[in-house]
Parts: sequence; C-alpha cells; structure tokens
Amino acid sequence: MSKMFRDRRKAGAVASPYFAWALIFILVPLAMILWYGLTDDSGAFTLVHIAAIAQPEHMKALLLALELAIISTVICFLLAYPLGMILAKNKMSSAGIITTIFILPMWMNFLLRTFSWMTLLENHGVINGVLEFLHLPTIHVINTPGAIVIGMVYNFLPFMIMPIYNSLAKIDENVINAARDLGANSVQTFLRVTLPLTVPGIISGVTMVFIPALTTFAISTMLGGSKILLIGNVIEQEFTLTYDWHLGSGLSIVLMIFIVVNMIVSAISEKKDE
Amino acid sequence: MSKELITLSHISKSFDGQLILDDLNLVIHENEFVTLLGPSGCGKTTTLRIIGGFETPDQGKVIFDGMDITALAPNKRQLNTVFQKYALFTHMDIADNIAFGLRIKNKSDQYIKDKISYALKLVNLEGYEHRMPDSLSGGQQQRIAIARAIVNEPKVLLLDEPLGALDLKLRQDMQYELIRLKRELGITFIYVTHDQEEALTMSDHIVVMNQGYIQQEGSPEDIYNEPENAFVADFIGDSNIISATMVKDELVRILGTEFPCVDKGFGEEKPVDVVIRPEDVELVPRGQGRISGVVSHIIFKGVHYEMEVQAGGFEWLVHSTKESPVGTEVDIRVDPFNIQVMNKPASEDEQALGVEDV
Amino acid sequence: MNNKIRPAEKIYMAIIFLFMYAPIVTLIVLSFNKSKSRAKWGGFTFQWYLNLVHDSEVLNAMANTLIIALIATIVSTLIGTAASVALTGMKRRTRSLIMGVTNIPMINADIVTGISLMLLFKILHFDAGFVTVLIAHITFNIPYVMLSVLPRMKTISPAVYEAALDLGAEPFFAFRKTILPDLTPAIISGALMAFTMSIDDFIITYFTKGSGFDTLSTKIYSEVKRGIRPEIYALSAIIFVVVLVLLLLSDRMKVRGSKIADRARNAGNVKLKRIGIAVAISAASIAIILMALAFGGVFTKKSTQVFVYNAGEYIDPEVIELFQEETGIEVVYDEFESNEIMYAKVAADGAAYDILCPSDYMIAKLIDNDMLMKLDWSAIPNAKKYIGEQYYQSATAFDPANEYAVPYCWGTVGILYNKEMVQEPVTSWNVLWDPKYRGEILMQDSIRDAFMVALARRGYSINSTDPAEIDTATQDLIEQAPLVQAYVIDQVRDKMIGDEAALGVIYSGEAIYTKRENENLEYVIPDEGSNVWIDGWCVTREARNADNALKWIDFLCRPEIALMNFEYITYSTPNIAAQEMIEDEDIRNSKVAFPDDETLSRCDTYISLGEEGDRLYNEAWKKVKSAN
Repeated sequence: MSKMFRDRRKAGAVASPYFAWALIFILVPLAMILWYGLTDDSGAFTLVHIAAIAQPEHMKALLLALELAIISTVICFLLAYPLGMILAKNKMSSAGIITTIFILPMWMNFLLRTFSWMTLLENHGVINGVLEFLHLPTIHVINTPGAIVIGMVYNFLPFMIMPIYNSLAKIDENVINAARDLGANSVQTFLRVTLPLTVPGIISGVTMVFIPALTTFAISTMLGGSKILLIGNVIEQEFTLTYDWHLGSGLSIVLMIFIVVNMIVSAISEKKDE
Repeated sequence: MSKELITLSHISKSFDGQLILDDLNLVIHENEFVTLLGPSGCGKTTTLRIIGGFETPDQGKVIFDGMDITALAPNKRQLNTVFQKYALFTHMDIADNIAFGLRIKNKSDQYIKDKISYALKLVNLEGYEHRMPDSLSGGQQQRIAIARAIVNEPKVLLLDEPLGALDLKLRQDMQYELIRLKRELGITFIYVTHDQEEALTMSDHIVVMNQGYIQQEGSPEDIYNEPENAFVADFIGDSNIISATMVKDELVRILGTEFPCVDKGFGEEKPVDVVIRPEDVELVPRGQGRISGVVSHIIFKGVHYEMEVQAGGFEWLVHSTKESPVGTEVDIRVDPFNIQVMNKPASEDEQALGVEDV
Repeated sequence: MNNKIRPAEKIYMAIIFLFMYAPIVTLIVLSFNKSKSRAKWGGFTFQWYLNLVHDSEVLNAMANTLIIALIATIVSTLIGTAASVALTGMKRRTRSLIMGVTNIPMINADIVTGISLMLLFKILHFDAGFVTVLIAHITFNIPYVMLSVLPRMKTISPAVYEAALDLGAEPFFAFRKTILPDLTPAIISGALMAFTMSIDDFIITYFTKGSGFDTLSTKIYSEVKRGIRPEIYALSAIIFVVVLVLLLLSDRMKVRGSKIADRARNAGNVKLKRIGIAVAISAASIAIILMALAFGGVFTKKSTQVFVYNAGEYIDPEVIELFQEETGIEVVYDEFESNEIMYAKVAADGAAYDILCPSDYMIAKLIDNDMLMKLDWSAIPNAKKYIGEQYYQSATAFDPANEYAVPYCWGTVGILYNKEMVQEPVTSWNVLWDPKYRGEILMQDSIRDAFMVALARRGYSINSTDPAEIDTATQDLIEQAPLVQAYVIDQVRDKMIGDEAALGVIYSGEAIYTKRENENLEYVIPDEGSNVWIDGWCVTREARNADNALKWIDFLCRPEIALMNFEYITYSTPNIAAQEMIEDEDIRNSKVAFPDDETLSRCDTYISLGEEGDRLYNEAWKKVKSAN
C-alpha cells in the first residue's frame, strides 16, 4: 500500500484537511479543558479544582456514578452475551435482526426513549398497571438508582451487543466443534475457547457502555428525579447553573483520568490480540 | 479381514425437510484407511459428522466397538477430528493447542510435555511450541491440527477434507505424510474428500457416495476397474459411458455394433450402460476394428495423447501413446475384458434428489 | 449444530425485544393521547399530528436536526475518507499516532467533548449556533467514517490502481475507477453510522448550541423538565414509522436482489450493490423531502428579529404567531428551566438574547450586575395603561425605581395536595417533613424555592442570608431528602395529575390547570407564609434588537393578548383590563389565581441575595442534593 502514494508529501496533502480538523477541534479543545482545570480566575496555576473531587458531595457523586456504571455494564454484559450467542448460533445476519432490534430505536430520540421509561416505571405507570392487573406486587423504582440503572442499560445495551455479536460470529463453528471433539464439555468449551476468543469484543463493549454510563447526566436527571446526582450532573451544573468553568473543567479532568485508564486497558488487549 | 470397529446401521438424516442421508449402512474395520468420496452434497460430510457426534441421525444407530454411541456427546467419543480449515484455537500458542485435549483429561505436566514434543516431531514441526497459529502457513497449521488430534490417542481419526485449502504441491506432500502417519500410528482413518485422485492414492477402502446413498464400496482397484454404475464410473477417472443393449451373455450391442464381453446374467436384449476407460480404447487402421471413426481432436498430455474420436455417433475419449493426427480415419477395438457392463439406475429418484451439501 | 431456535432462546429474544420496544410503543400510544398530560389517558385523538403542520418550533428543530446531520455526514465522509486513503500511505508510527487522536472523540465522554468544544468556541468568540453545532457533529462523526473505511482500505490491493497509473490514467481518475468502487460499501456504512449518531446526539449539541437554535434533542431536553409537548411524540412516531418502512423496503429489495444474483451469478453482485446505493439514495431523498416540508428558519433568517428567553410553557404559542404576523418581526424563542440557568446563559453571552422574563430576585441580580437596559416607557404605552399600579408597587422590591421590568405574571408558591391521599387539613409546611408521606413528596428543583420552604417553616425570612439560618434550613432539607420522591420543576403538574405523589410544592398558576385535570387536587398557601413572586419582562443591556424587544413587551400588555396568555398558561396576570375580561366567574374570583390581601400579607417577595448569599445557597444546595 505504501506505493499508493509514492510521494509522502502528496499523502500529507490529501490528509491535511483532517489533520487541521483534528488539531483545532480535538486537541486544542482538550488543551482548553486542561488549562481551565489547572488555573484559577486570575490565570494562575492551581490544583484546587482537581482536588475539589475530594469534597464529599463531589466524591459521593463520583462513587455513585462509578457504582451505577459498573452495575449497568455488568448487566449489559450478562444480557448481551447470551443474546449474542443466540444470534450468532442461528446465523442471524447483522443486517437483519440486529438492525431491527437495536439500530431502529435510535431513530426515536434518545431523550424521548428515556423519558418514556418514566411513564413506564412510575408508581402508577404502565408497568405497575400491568402488575396490578395481574394481582402481582407493584414496584417502586422511579426516582431511585434502580431506575437510572434501567435507563443506562436500555440506552447502552446495543453498544455491548454489537461488538460481542461480531466477535462471536467470527468464530468458526468448527473451532467450537474441535474443542468438543478434544474432550471438552460445553462448560469447558465456553470457558476455554468461546469466552477467550471474544475478549476483544467484550472489552470494546465494556468501554462503549462504561464510559457513557459513568458520565451521563440526562438519564440520571430524568429517571432519578433530580434527586440523585452523578458526577455528570455535577459537571453539567458547573457549566449551566453555577457557572464555574474552572471547577467544571477540573472535574472533567478527573473524569478523563478514568477514560485514559480505560483506553490503556483496551489498547493493551488489542495489542495482545494482534 | 480385521475386526469391525464402527457400524452405521440404517442412518437417515434430513435438514429443513431435505433428505441428506437415506438408510445408510456402512461398516468400518479396525486399522483401515477409509475414504468417503463423492461430490459436494452427497452426504459424506454429514456421515462424518454423525460419526464424530456433531450431528444426531434422525433414524438409525452408530455402533462403536460394540457400543451404541448414537446419542453420545462428541467429547465422550474415542475419536478425534481434523477439521476443514484446521480450526485451531487462535488465542493459544501451538503447545497449548496440542495440549488442549490432554489438559481437559487432567494429564500430568510431564506427560503433556512429552506428548507435545512427540507430536511435533511426528508432524515434522519441532521447535514450533511457542508460535501462534496465525504465524504458520496453511500446511503447517494442518499438521498442528493433526498433532492436536492424535496426542489424544484416538482409536479413529476423522479427517474432513483436510487438504482442501492447500495448493497442489503441498497437497501431494501431505498425502504421503498422511499415509506415513497412518502406518506409524496404526489406527483407523476416516477421510472425507471429493478428490478421487486423493482417494485412490491413500485409501485401503473407498466408499463412493452420491445424493445420500452409497453408490459403491471397495478397494481403489475395484472401484476404478469395475465401477458398478455410471455415476461411479464417471466420478472416478475419465470414462466413456455409453448406453447399450445386452444381447445375451457375453455379447453387448454398443452403438449398433456387437462387442464380445465377459459379463453374464443381465438377461437378453436388456438396456445397460457400458464403461470403457479411455486407455482401453485401441485405435487400429481402417478395417481392423469394429466401429469406424475419425479423430476430431488431439492434445499431448505428457505420458500419452488424449484424443477424441467421432465414431458411431458418439465422441470417444481415447488415451494412447501413439499419435493419430486430426482427420485420421481409424477403427476402434476394445478387448472384451475392458468392457464393463452396468445396470441402468433402478429408479430415477436417486438422480432426481436435488440435495445440497451440509 | 442444530439450527433450530430453541423455545428458551425465543423467549429470551422476545424479552429483549420487549425491553427495547416498550418505551417506543409507549411513545406512539402517547402521540394519540387526547390529554396533554402523559400521566393520564384522555381518549384517542389525531390532534397532535394535525397540530404538527403549523408547529414551527418543533418543525424547525426537526429541520435543524436533519440539516445538521446531513451536512455533517457529507463533510465528515469526505474528510474521513480522504484521511483514511492517505493514512494507509504513511509510516506505521505516524498512522497509529493519528488513529490515537482520531479515537479520542469516540472514546472520550460526550460531556467532556461537548464542554471542550464549548470552551474553544467561547474563547474564539464564535457565536454559538448552527455553525458550532455543525462543527461539533463533524468532529465526532469523522471517527465513525474512518473506522469503517480504514480497515477496508487496508485490504485493497494497490495493484489495480498502479496498473491504471501505468496505463496513463491521472491519479484521481485512477483512484475513482479502481479503489473507490471497492471502498463504496464501507463509505456508505460509515456515512449511515455517522448520520444515525448525529440524529441521536444530545450531549454534545447541548453544550455547543447557542441561543435560538435547537435540534430535536435539545428541544426535547428543555421540555422534559416540564412535560413534553404531544406534538413531539407525534413527530417522533412519524420518523420512526418512516425509517421502519424504509428498512423493510430495503430488506425486500435485498431479498429480490439476491434472487437475481442467484440467477445470474456474475451480474448479481453488481446489481446488489446498485440496489444498496439505490436504497441509500432514496432514503436520503426522503430525508430531503421531509426537510423541505419542515423547512423553517435556518436559511430564511429575516433581518428583523427579536431573541426572546422565557420560562418554559410560559406563553400561548399563538401569541408569538400573532406578533410575528402583525409586526413582521421574527421571534427567536428559547425557554429556560430555572432562573439560575437563565442567568448562567446570559452571563456567558450578554448579547444572546434581547428580552428575558426572569423572576423578581433574579431581576434584582441582573440589575445589580448591570446586565439590563433601562426601559423607554414611551415606547411601551400599554405597560402603564393596563398593568395594575399595585404590581408596580410590589416590583419596587426588586426594581426600586420601576426602570427595568414590566410585570408579566405573578403568583404564590404553595402546596398542591391530593385529597384522596392526604386526609388531614394541610396548613403548614411541616406536612412536607411528615414521615407518613415518605416517597409521596415532590419538591421544587430550584434553589430559592426549596430554601424558601425550609426557611418559612422555621419562621425565618425567606431572603435570609444568615449563615446559621441557612445552615439550619440545609439540615432540614437534608433530613427531608429521604422523604422526597423527586426534585422537579414543572413536572410536579403531571405527576400530581397522575396520582404519582400526594404532596407537591407548586406555583399557584399551575393550580387551576391541575384542578381541571384531577379534581382531587387542592392548592394551599401554608400559614407560615410563602413567596409571592412577580415575573417581568426585561431588556438585556447588550440587546441587539432593543426596539423589537419593546414592541414585544407592548404587544403582550394588550388586554386581549394578556387574556389569551392567561387562559393558556393559567398564571395570574397583573393586567387589570385582562382580569376584568375573564369570562369564567369562578376563575375571576378564584382565591388561587388572585389571593386576598390577608393571604398576601403573609407572603414575601424574593430579593437578590448578593454574590455571597448566592454562593452560600449554591453550596448548601449541592449538599442537599448529594445527601441521598
């Protein structure tokens, strides 16, 4: 391929619009966050905005966000893996079922779909209506962390299923047969062959669910009744309510640390995969 | 003949309402190199997968060493499979691939280590323990797949078109390799292929299949020299297959001309097919043979010339070491021993079943 | 393996399917709900679909969404494809470095990406709006295109391309004829992905959009807090059905295409590809037609405008129409959820809006910070003519010389309770601390109102800046937090109508409407006293269209217009002439809409707390909110 552009400069010219774009709209803005997060009003260097994460109300929001994001990620994984296996086993094309189930809802606005869960989950909502009709005990989940987890799982499940399905579908059926043939029972086959072969898919699925779940503010606002603050809500309010850019940027930097850690983990696993 | 090891009795299997195997009966003896040969869709792979335990037959039984294993899971069977396209575990290195079955059986580390080096030596890949499968060539991967199977000391090794993905030269090398392995290991090989040359080269026993039925089984020589029907004759090597009439015992009318032959018992004035191998057609000067014709085409193939001769309204395929240029007027002669008379297929059903390979 | 789907698997898939589609079915059902409140089924109607045709706000947001998505997709596809092609010709190390940068917007949290771009635009003094949102969308779309195109590019052999060059083709021509056809499916799928992400994005748009510009997402978010307009359900249902039909059609075509392919093996592939492109093109053209239908203000900006920033659901949309028709001035109308959010926005960009409708204490704060313009009363004769003198009198509390604000609505804050669920008479704020009602209480998600409740309950001034008093109030609110079901703003209305809660803190203006929808609801002003508030129209100091802003005020002060508004939003009007025109006697004499002097004497207006006071309240509020 290197011959495609015998002249490196020509390649650079074709890619230059992108380089310029990436520099101005990806790197510079990130630098802005760093600058705001590490300075105060007078422009002097300070770490107080980073250290602010230790304030109890910020720490609490961060820990709760971590907890809910982890729970949501685990639930997404537990739901997505069997589904991925069913889809892959039955050779359902990604174009068919998967698009219908997971891409189509995306055309109904994300906020509306989440909002709709409010109607479903409320104390006198649709689900409780059905439960009452069936003479089953009703659930009280709206405005609790449970409702936020449901919202996160609902919104981010597709991002877990797609990479897992893709990595499962890539496995040659005979590789599974080979493991069985060599004496492994179905559990051993799953643990020693299927699962390890899908690790790259799992990691990218986990990344794609964990990060948005950790940083969301819309879902927690809507389904948590504004009662439950996640780190995303705190940052959002610093920009839209209290208007403290420095503090908001400082907390964003803390959030980025988690993202960077996640990036490193997935980069390492990708390298291993190569 | 040695002991019966595997018996398939009255096996039927269909997919989505399509019959793939219909009342199949087959006996495989210990220490044989058996090849299931046939075109794609003939049911050979399904037969192998039933033996391996990856499919359950709709009807019939699989008896292994006197035991009914029809419903036994693949991991409980004393046989191992070498798959098409190798099916190596790409997330493990070569040593771990080979050790997979042994680890499942909780063998000791030392035992496993010994087995790995033994197996790698057997397939001529010493020193490859810590390579990853993706870094190996196709032929090397195939050897690893074989090594991975045989360390488990199976009584039977199932091979599903193992050489299909390799190029010609490598394929020939691997054929000799497999024969050597078979001899050294002293176990039964069941080999699936659609390549008749591979089958003829390696097998002790060939089972020719088509459209879910066994068409013929026997030694390579039997199959080649005495095909029992037109399908087998056509599938194994090049042939002239001609509609003919059995006039009476030892006399057959081909293209209006009577030929003496050695076959008996077909009845009188009975329609039959005859098979004449191209190398058995002798071209002689005009007046010395039974049918007259003209050479219409000739190519040099190295050991022999391949010619087409128009005679009696049929295009005869002829192999000969003697060159007869296009346009030469010739007569055709066939030795009575070289005329193979076969019954016409009993029913058209066998041909009509449009089954797909699964 | 067995290819049959086992029953357990079918059930599992059905459950997931139900999970994914229950909310969507709910929304579609709501789009036919006659009641505006989502908590109540009021019968079947097509009204919202019909209304959609002249709901310019929603259609504008829709048009913006589609235009942004389309342009962002095209630009990012071009840039991304070019970059992918060029990258394969570069050194491995350069390539992985660039891919690392490219991945940032995908892996990074949307909120960080959004904020970082917002900071950039602010520093560059870029006017936030269409262009900034577009730039942001292009930025996060490029990685989707590249991640689709780059892997495909790696598999393409350059041999054909080189052969073409060898035969004398120009490089671009050779590229177009040899590489591009192989790349097309990857480009299309990357572009489709980008388009979908663009349509569905909320967070990044939220931070990069400016005043007067909304996509469907941001429009919905601003409406979520007070209950979504049913027209939006209708619009979403339409979009959903259109996409569903398109998908089914393309699926059919693919099936047919593959049959053709079976018949003519070689030709089939080409045909399949062509059908794929045909589907993509028809989808795009339908999108464009939708856009044309919905076409709003994006490119047809008139020279005369006025930028209005009002509280949510605080005007009859028809009034805006009438104003535009009569004056020819285009109204760019935005809504805020709380005074604090409004203040943050205006503090960030003083020229973003011409006219605001803040509450009393916020007006004081704006005056203190020199953010308002003195009104030219001669230009707004109706303001003095029709608005009651007593309201101007009250307004002196925050606007001492009546220089800045014209009263628009006024009212009290009280408790709305459900008679079925609360048996005892409600007379005190204490009821909101009664453990009996755990989980049945709705508090206002606004700093001043929440603290007002706590301060008034203790008998403190609702404008207290005494740290000790605030601390007590904070402790009280923290103590109350476990009992609170949710902190909401206008949603109190829907939730109370739907029997979701027993008690809620609410503005008097909502009481008339809620009683109409659910007759068990009763509004009361507790004995300890409460807040009486006035919202007024103010012109920003940096207003670019101050003259139009004054015309706007004058228009709203007309009695018949004030009456229209009153009947629509049910908040008490200070317009005496309008009050007299109210036909419904019950309402004209309603104690809720127009409380008597005795009640009013118990109530105070908010005054600005000053910077220090604001800081105290903000800190305390954060503590309350994180106390759960």
